[in-house]
Amino acid sequence: MAYLVLQEISKRFGSVQALSRVTLEVERGAVHAIVGENGAGKSTLMKILYGLEQPDSGQILLDGRRLTIASPRDAMRHGIGMVHQKFQLIPSFTVVENIVLGDEPARAGWLDRKAARRQVAELLERYGLELDPDRPVRDLSVGERQRVEIAKLLYRQAEVLIFDEATAALTPEEAEGLFRILEQFVAGGKTILYITHKFSEVFRLARHVTVLRRGRVVSSMPVAEATPERLARDIVGAGGLPDLGGPAPSSAPGLGPSTSPDPGPVILDCQGLWVVRPDGVPALRGVDLAVRGGEIVGVAGVEGNGQAELAAAVVGLTPVQAGSIRLDGVPVDGASVKERRRRGIGWIPPDRYTLGSALASSLWDNLIAGEVDLPPFSAFGVLRMQAIRRHARQRMETFDVRAPGPEVPAGSLSGGNLQKVIVAREVRDGLRLLVASNPTSGLDIRATAFVREQLLHLRNRGVAVLLISTDLDEVLQLSDRVLVLHRGEVVAQFPRGAATRETVGRAMAGSHEPLAEVSSRG
Amino acid sequence: MAEPTASPPAPSPSHWRTQLALATAWSTGVTFAGALALTALVLWLTGQPVFGTFALMLRTALGSKVGLADTLLQATPLILCGLACAVSFRAGVFNVGVEGALYLGAFAAAWTGFTFVGLGRLPLIAACLVAAAVVGALWLAVPAALKAYLDVDEVVSTLMLNYVALSVTSYLVNYPFRAPGLANSMSPAVAEQARLTRLLPPSQLNASLILALLLTLAVAWMFGRTRLGVSIRTLGNNPRFARVMGIPVPRLMVLTMLLSGAIGGLAGGSQVLGVNYRFIDGFSPGWGFDGITITLLARHNPWGILVTALVFGMLRNGGGMIQVFSKVPISIVDILQAAVILLVTAQVAVPSLRRATS
Ligand SMILES: Nc1ncnc2c1ncn2[C@@H]1O[C@H](COP(=O)(O)OP(=O)(O)OP(=O)(O)O)[C@@H](O)[C@H]1O
Ligand SMILES: [Mg+2]
Repeated sequence: MAYLVLQEISKRFGSVQALSRVTLEVERGAVHAIVGENGAGKSTLMKILYGLEQPDSGQILLDGRRLTIASPRDAMRHGIGMVHQKFQLIPSFTVVENIVLGDEPARAGWLDRKAARRQVAELLERYGLELDPDRPVRDLSVGERQRVEIAKLLYRQAEVLIFDEATAALTPEEAEGLFRILEQFVAGGKTILYITHKFSEVFRLARHVTVLRRGRVVSSMPVAEATPERLARDIVGAGGLPDLGGPAPSSAPGLGPSTSPDPGPVILDCQGLWVVRPDGVPALRGVDLAVRGGEIVGVAGVEGNGQAELAAAVVGLTPVQAGSIRLDGVPVDGASVKERRRRGIGWIPPDRYTLGSALASSLWDNLIAGEVDLPPFSAFGVLRMQAIRRHARQRMETFDVRAPGPEVPAGSLSGGNLQKVIVAREVRDGLRLLVASNPTSGLDIRATAFVREQLLHLRNRGVAVLLISTDLDEVLQLSDRVLVLHRGEVVAQFPRGAATRETVGRAMAGSHEPLAEVSSRG
Repeated sequence: MAEPTASPPAPSPSHWRTQLALATAWSTGVTFAGALALTALVLWLTGQPVFGTFALMLRTALGSKVGLADTLLQATPLILCGLACAVSFRAGVFNVGVEGALYLGAFAAAWTGFTFVGLGRLPLIAACLVAAAVVGALWLAVPAALKAYLDVDEVVSTLMLNYVALSVTSYLVNYPFRAPGLANSMSPAVAEQARLTRLLPPSQLNASLILALLLTLAVAWMFGRTRLGVSIRTLGNNPRFARVMGIPVPRLMVLTMLLSGAIGGLAGGSQVLGVNYRFIDGFSPGWGFDGITITLLARHNPWGILVTALVFGMLRNGGGMIQVFSKVPISIVDILQAAVILLVTAQVAVPSLRRATS
């Protein structure tokens, strides 16, 4: 019998059957990947295993023993741990303190700091987790914070570790680091449950893969027998791959749109942008950037080189210390976020939970929050519910948002479906410039293709698109022009064709001939 | 997308709202039950009759027409203060200055009422209420601006201002506006025609109950059916997202605090026009603070506030009688309320913990 068995698990949320009699058999000492489209039930299944949700029926067996898991505490007691997407660390505490918090070695009731530090240092050493035990967590990068989360589980002797889209927030380098850590865990006999939308990760890491669709297991196979085509077919369902994105030929895998048919006038024009972070470090140092209508300009670069500040400056959330931003030739430097939205700037923020939505608000609230004072949503300050509902339904249908209706709270949607809501809101009428920060993060293959197609669509309609993505392949596939940000400066520009993984990658790493490869600006 | 089968069966739109309302009602009910149990424990430990005390309270509060009227009378300022707190709390602004706005609004109403004695009935009542609302709003304008533009913590500033309000009004009725010939510190009485109609004499229950009901309706409508409501909800649910959406966050914060102050002022004004007919130094037993408990308990839902305020009114009314007819002091009501606060705090804390872990 398998090491860990989730047997006939069912779970219903109101009218949504999130899981119907799902059975999962997990082998010890291997990575078991779980894939499936947005809303398939992957996160719910793992939350049940970790005690965050209770199943309506079904049971969980570990080593042949039946477990009752009423809370994460119970799960941890049985050696089951989960690495959260949103880290739960205390920024002012050190790595050691964060790791032992809640489970401290004590002597006569007091925290035994020496013992804590020694145990943690040993642990980090044993698992090759590169972390300075004495640094406060606030100084750590996203990847390092994730390692602290992992170390927390190891400290509590987790044998089964659950990862839910663990690489979504990581740079490619950090992701590679995570893979190596996981491989080592497996070699040490630990068991990993790994949710992902990226096939490359399945083939890289997993021994076994299970596909969920609409709350049911559609297939489960050793990775050795799986192919990307087979997985894609199982994920998407009977219609198979031809469904993948509709009529536009551009949406085929390996998507290669011809350069924009007709680059129009310059819509976004940034000159000499300087943005200084609150801690005094300049994040943008004199960035010049122009995006024409009918053009997708991709910004590549290792996360933390000014991408976040560039987006925030353009949409009006961050004050600019020097330089100017024009939209359609008119300066918008003094304009508020609202005015900029009115003039046609849209933004898909990089983090759907903190910036992109209000989880406790309904979907329709989320869909109209920025435009509520415009017709047809309100008149004289009074909402026109019919128009709002109709709009919400229409957006949800167009973007294939799987939810019972526009009234449900955004927090009840699966990660990918929430991302679709955000894209649906920002791709709106009257758009002149769309700033898309990691627009497809958390989306399944089909939704990813659909959103990319929407970006191309916008471009063909003459909208300017500024695509800022940590996914280099996405940038290369979609952009008519690629810029590389490094330490707050545009260090290279490539026209379509000249941008390859190698040329762009080299520039991202910081080695480049300053702007040598610029050909046609704008 | 091309696959129409994707859309799941659509349940009735009211389904989720019903579920939410049920969940809120359930948790409110559980909280009250818990509070009652705690209070029963206190009574039992101090050797007082548990059921006798509760029965007496209930009988007093609901057993007769006058008892019922007095319950409604007690509930009126609680409804208004609950709404006042809700307006800013819903936007995530933890304004605890309603008590201060209530005092200043009450004084403004009283002053208008004993100064413009030449006005007719309706104009004078309207003038008094407008004065109460405006002064209440202005009272919170300063902490509102400090919060919105300089990020000064509103909890501290509004809490301090409550004491200032108490002192200022106390000074006013002890010196410049002290009613001649009266021993206590109170203002002169308002003109005869400024007094609100009594609804069920001999109870002091008066037309301000109707004002409270109308305001409940108005706030519910504002939250649910206006664009201001959408902006307030969005801000309260995620301030960073509100900024991304271009909602003018500072302005909205100021607005909600002004509204909150205005309703708080009305709570004070209606007490003057409906019950006391003058400003009495230190007249509030802490309604502005009870409003905080009430709105938290009702999760800022105006109808929930109405119900909760009625229950609190019942306790206050019933509690007053206990003191007279048994050895249990009225502080038993405070114990009950404290138990409610404790349980609400626990509830507020736990879901946020839960959210953080998902
Ligand atoms: N707390 C909840 N309340 C109501 N419905 C929920 C809740 N959590 C999940 N659901 C629903 O259950 C279904 C499965 O959601 P789940 O989060 O497990 O999907 P997922 O496979 O992780 O998708 P994604 O790839 O988008 O993250 C969805 O339809 C979702 O809307
Ligand atoms: Mg998920």
